[in-house]
Amino acid sequence: MKKILIVGGGTAGTMTANNLAKKLMPEIDRDELQITLISNSSKHVYKPGAMYVAFHKSAGNEFVREQKSLLMPEINFFVDEAIEFNTKENYVRAQSGKKYDYDYLVIATGCEIAANRIPGLEEGGDWFYSYEGAKKLAEKFEKIKKGRILITVSFPKTPNIPHQCGIAPLETTIMLNDYLIEKGVRDDVEIIYTYPKVAQTITDGLFLQGPTSKVLPSIFDGMNIKHKTSFTLNKVDAEKKIAYSEEGEEMSFDILMSTPPFIAAKVVRNSGLATKALDGEGWLPTNKKTLKVEGLDNVYTLGDAVDLSVSKAGGTIHNQTDVVTDNIAAELRYGYPTESYDGKVIAVAQMGLSCGMPLWYDYEEDVKPTPCSKLGSFVRLGFNKGLYWAAARGML
Amino acid sequence: MSEEIKIKKSAEMQKIEDKMTMLVQTGRIDNLIDLLAVLSDQIEMTTTPMVEKMVNSIDNMTTAGFVTENAVRYAKRETEKNEIPSVFALLKLMKDEDTRKGLAFMLNLTKGIGKQL
Repeated sequence: MKKILIVGGGTAGTMTANNLAKKLMPEIDRDELQITLISNSSKHVYKPGAMYVAFHKSAGNEFVREQKSLLMPEINFFVDEAIEFNTKENYVRAQSGKKYDYDYLVIATGCEIAANRIPGLEEGGDWFYSYEGAKKLAEKFEKIKKGRILITVSFPKTPNIPHQCGIAPLETTIMLNDYLIEKGVRDDVEIIYTYPKVAQTITDGLFLQGPTSKVLPSIFDGMNIKHKTSFTLNKVDAEKKIAYSEEGEEMSFDILMSTPPFIAAKVVRNSGLATKALDGEGWLPTNKKTLKVEGLDNVYTLGDAVDLSVSKAGGTIHNQTDVVTDNIAAELRYGYPTESYDGKVIAVAQMGLSCGMPLWYDYEEDVKPTPCSKLGSFVRLGFNKGLYWAAARGML
Repeated sequence: MSEEIKIKKSAEMQKIEDKMTMLVQTGRIDNLIDLLAVLSDQIEMTTTPMVEKMVNSIDNMTTAGFVTENAVRYAKRETEKNEIPSVFALLKLMKDEDTRKGLAFMLNLTKGIGKQL
């Protein structure tokens, strides 16, 4: 009996578990294979839904479901938090004390918000990357009648690693503009979008990819959104409501909508596997093609935990999961992996409250910015509110 | 008096012109324009709440499909693996928590249907 163990019940873990069960159903039928998924929660959260909560476009409950309801019954599911990876003896130790053996391990533990890595940010800043954070922001947005909303973006210290969902700061800035217009207070609220000096391979830009970074100034100017590059946030004075940059500048704000620092999950940070990540951030060294953890032949990873340059987003995972699934299936059947990830990311960006922009890119080619459309927004809404669950179940 | 204007066309433009000419000559163009107009009107008349409700219905259907497909496959596998149970063995099946949960679900399902009759 071969054993596949998946750690993490987010988008990456859930999709991969279902895809594996589907692909390897003959082996399961013959009692030759066991698939197990462990997660630290009985709930499954669709994270991109949080940003809609910040603008009162969703209550949030529609983006949370029972993990069990998304998994095929062939998958053994346990709510148990992984606390140790033993890659020599091939087991994962969990909070309950139980050891989960494996022949193949998939690490899909995602990343977490680490606002405390910038002094004062936890107290002075807000973010839409969690439901709690988004609810707090929504209350502040509801109250604001005049003043300044400052947007900051922080990247990991490890070179060429993105923050979670690369396009989210841009999406939410434009959504914010629409929201304030809807409320009738836009003329009295200043929006300033800032971007750090270094954003992966881009220096002094407004986005993490060149072509989009170049068109942004004219888009922002058309919306009367002020923009400033080379503002690498390094301190926040929560009382005075001032944000300071590494470059020596300071900016006051009424609301600070930040993309906070992100780090890998604790179990990965403590595993000793993240040998290349700086500052204890914990990104897993990942083979960009096979999606195996470097140096470990039977351990795969995908999603937000990896140290690849592509976006930490569902539109990335949706493409990575098929590679991981096919490779594990091929290893079981032929003894070697057969597929290769090309860095493909497909998504529809929410460029304002009712405008959607389909986008795709890979390791070789950047996103080509195109005009957004109402139809694009419907596609995004359709995915958020319905198709996502089908995708998580491996039906799409 | 009309003036002759010369336009430099790319190969792609010429191709589009040829195709369009064919559509006009065969009388299909009117229907196609109408169809595009209908499509455009549909997009114009669709609202965000409408899309949400439609998507919700689709999600309900896919969820029902997922649950049913999984349950049928599971039942088929279990039935094939085990011998046809005796009456006593059938009762023993009831000891299993998942079986009882499924049975309770089926009974509640009939109640839900009954409420609508």
